Amino acid sequence: MTAARFWTAIVMALFLASAARAADAPNGDPMKGRALYTANGCAYCHGTAGQGGGGRTGGLRLAQMGIGYPAFLNQLRHPVNEMPPYVESALSDQDVAHIQAFVASLPPPPDVKSIPILNN
Amino acid sequence: MSNDKDVPDVRRRKFLKGAGLAGAAAMAAPLNAVAQPRPAPANNPVPLPNKAAETAIPPALEVLTEGKSGSDFMVDCIKSLGFEYMAANPASSFRGLHESLVNYGGNKDPEFLTCSHEEISVAMGHGYYKIEGKPLCVFAHGTVGLHHATMALYNAWCDRVPVYVVIGNIMDVQMRRPGIEWNHSAQDPAAVVRDYTKWDDNPASLQHFAESSVRAYKIAMTPPTLPVLLVADGVLQEDPIPEGMVLRIPKLPQISVPQGESGAVAETARMLVNAENPVLIADHYARTPEAAKHLVALAEVLQCPVIDTSGRLNLPTRHPLNQSARARNHVSQADVIVGLEMSDFWGSLNSYRDQLHRTSRPIAKAGARTVSLGANDLYIKSNYQDFQRFADVDLAISGDAEATMPMLIEQVKRLADNGKKSAYEARGKKLAEAHAADVQRARVDATYGWDASPITTARLCMEVWAQIKDEDWSLASPTASVSYWPQRLWTMEKPYHFIGDGGGMGIGYCASASVGAALANRKHGRLTVALQNDGDLLMTIGVLWTAAHHKIPILSVMHNNRGYHQELMHVQRMANRHMRGLDRAHIGTTLREPYIDYAKIAQGMGVEAIGPITDPKDLAPALKRAIAIVKGGEPVLLDVVTQGR
Repeated sequence: MTAARFWTAIVMALFLASAARAADAPNGDPMKGRALYTANGCAYCHGTAGQGGGGRTGGLRLAQMGIGYPAFLNQLRHPVNEMPPYVESALSDQDVAHIQAFVASLPPPPDVKSIPILNN
Repeated sequence: MSNDKDVPDVRRRKFLKGAGLAGAAAMAAPLNAVAQPRPAPANNPVPLPNKAAETAIPPALEVLTEGKSGSDFMVDCIKSLGFEYMAANPASSFRGLHESLVNYGGNKDPEFLTCSHEEISVAMGHGYYKIEGKPLCVFAHGTVGLHHATMALYNAWCDRVPVYVVIGNIMDVQMRRPGIEWNHSAQDPAAVVRDYTKWDDNPASLQHFAESSVRAYKIAMTPPTLPVLLVADGVLQEDPIPEGMVLRIPKLPQISVPQGESGAVAETARMLVNAENPVLIADHYARTPEAAKHLVALAEVLQCPVIDTSGRLNLPTRHPLNQSARARNHVSQADVIVGLEMSDFWGSLNSYRDQLHRTSRPIAKAGARTVSLGANDLYIKSNYQDFQRFADVDLAISGDAEATMPMLIEQVKRLADNGKKSAYEARGKKLAEAHAADVQRARVDATYGWDASPITTARLCMEVWAQIKDEDWSLASPTASVSYWPQRLWTMEKPYHFIGDGGGMGIGYCASASVGAALANRKHGRLTVALQNDGDLLMTIGVLWTAAHHKIPILSVMHNNRGYHQELMHVQRMANRHMRGLDRAHIGTTLREPYIDYAKIAQGMGVEAIGPITDPKDLAPALKRAIAIVKGGEPVLLDVVTQGR
């Protein structure tokens, strides 16, 4: 299994497992989420633009991954693989919702074809 | 009371028959002059001749000069080994060698490289070897200088890189000046690095030094190639060569590299040929420019995946059989796995989870046959644990993998009959398609955060690549902290396009090793590039001055994430584990308040510098400007403020 497929499988599994809880999701504010994303070290591994660490050592890309709140919450509370766990006393469900809203608001990247130095 | 009485003058004087009397008289004159009454000041400020001092016969001639000293002969020994350079921070314990090198030896082959720290000297040798394929000579002060050198020596040890270290020391207690020379002497000065040097000696005579200097070189260059150390005793250095003494420097032999045993190689070939999913994993495999060609040949016969774990550039990054991006997938499906010069074979065959309860599990499937081929088993020590966890292999072949490769290829070709050819070709076609998909996926991944500030590591690497790809370039830095973007998206095919990481992962390696690599690349006219981490640069920042002073052209592009980011993530892991939040994770892990202005520091050391650059759009023009300076023969530093990873 490739690294990309591996991570995709994780995301899909989390998404399916927690879809039933979607209706309980608190409303998230992307602006608050942006501040919380920074303050809680999400960018350390996932980058300030949610681009991920890349390669063999970095965190998963978050931007444009379509990760819903239930899956997002589940991964923070009970992380698969090496991501450090975030307990509720350190990061409330509401805060997680804000962060998830921020991540969901991250814009798509430019088309790879529009960047000449990526096509050499 | 007199210290003079402690010194065995007879021992010295019997060697001094050749010394000039005129010199001795000249030295004696001022001593006598001191005893004369001071003349009254005259209108003429030129002192009058001291007739008494110049004409009287001194009571005893103290001979204070000499002709050829032991250190001259030591330089002859060092020159016989073909070193181009000797890197050192100057020190009294090798003052004899120092003077002999620059005067008697003409400061050529080797040429003295002035370094501000012994860690820099050794790390420069580390990078130099990985380009040039031969060791750098390093002089270091006894005790204190060697202590400074230890980290870089350990890095070289872990990275299987030979560095030839000569340290000063004074063994005879009667010959040590009181005070500092005692602090800088030891009865066994090499002891502090013996756990991570391959061989050392403390010669007791000049002939002993000659033989040990050649022996040390031979041992260092025989795989596994590793650092060695010689002690140059201060008295041996500084005493004259006894009249009539016959000294001989042994010849350096051509070194034959140990190969794997032929029967075991044949068995490996049989396994590979008959496997449904064979996988080759290469780590410190490429020792010479020929290595990658052999690995390509083997992989192409078998049309099998190769995983390059980046100890060196073992396989061109754009070769369709390079499957490093999907290593785990291939290992999990393999029925035969051959590891070539693996520093951590276990780590390639197993996964490990760093959570509260540390766990591991095999990646390789049950029943998969595993073979290790490498020189590591030929020489190993027990204290430092760089040999990694024991890999559960079926066949361990001790021998240099690169030297064994032609035999393995021949055996595989002999066994791979035409009946297997179509299956191999089908396998190769699938792998080529997967490789192309991986490259395209990496291109898309690189677009995320493309215009972000701090600048993403993908953008940083691709902006550099755009400027160097049409040059004869050499990347002289590790790539883990920039998320391996060069391996993912650059076309690396020549052995000097990537020289691996720092071995022991002690920071401070990159700044100095990249300058050492640039020194070796200079005569080949190559453009040396380093993706330079900020924390690493701070460890050995004095190397900037060495690069400026010796006009070593290098483009050092900083990955300045303003902290010790790996450690920041470790503290984050601990804070989360202890449910304490991340408010204080930055304490001790970041380099803020104030931010460090690396461009100013570099300029202060005589290095052209640009930055800090925070807008990715400024990168291309800055890189163009910098490369023009490097092509003029000077080092340049670009300070680029980047994302963590």
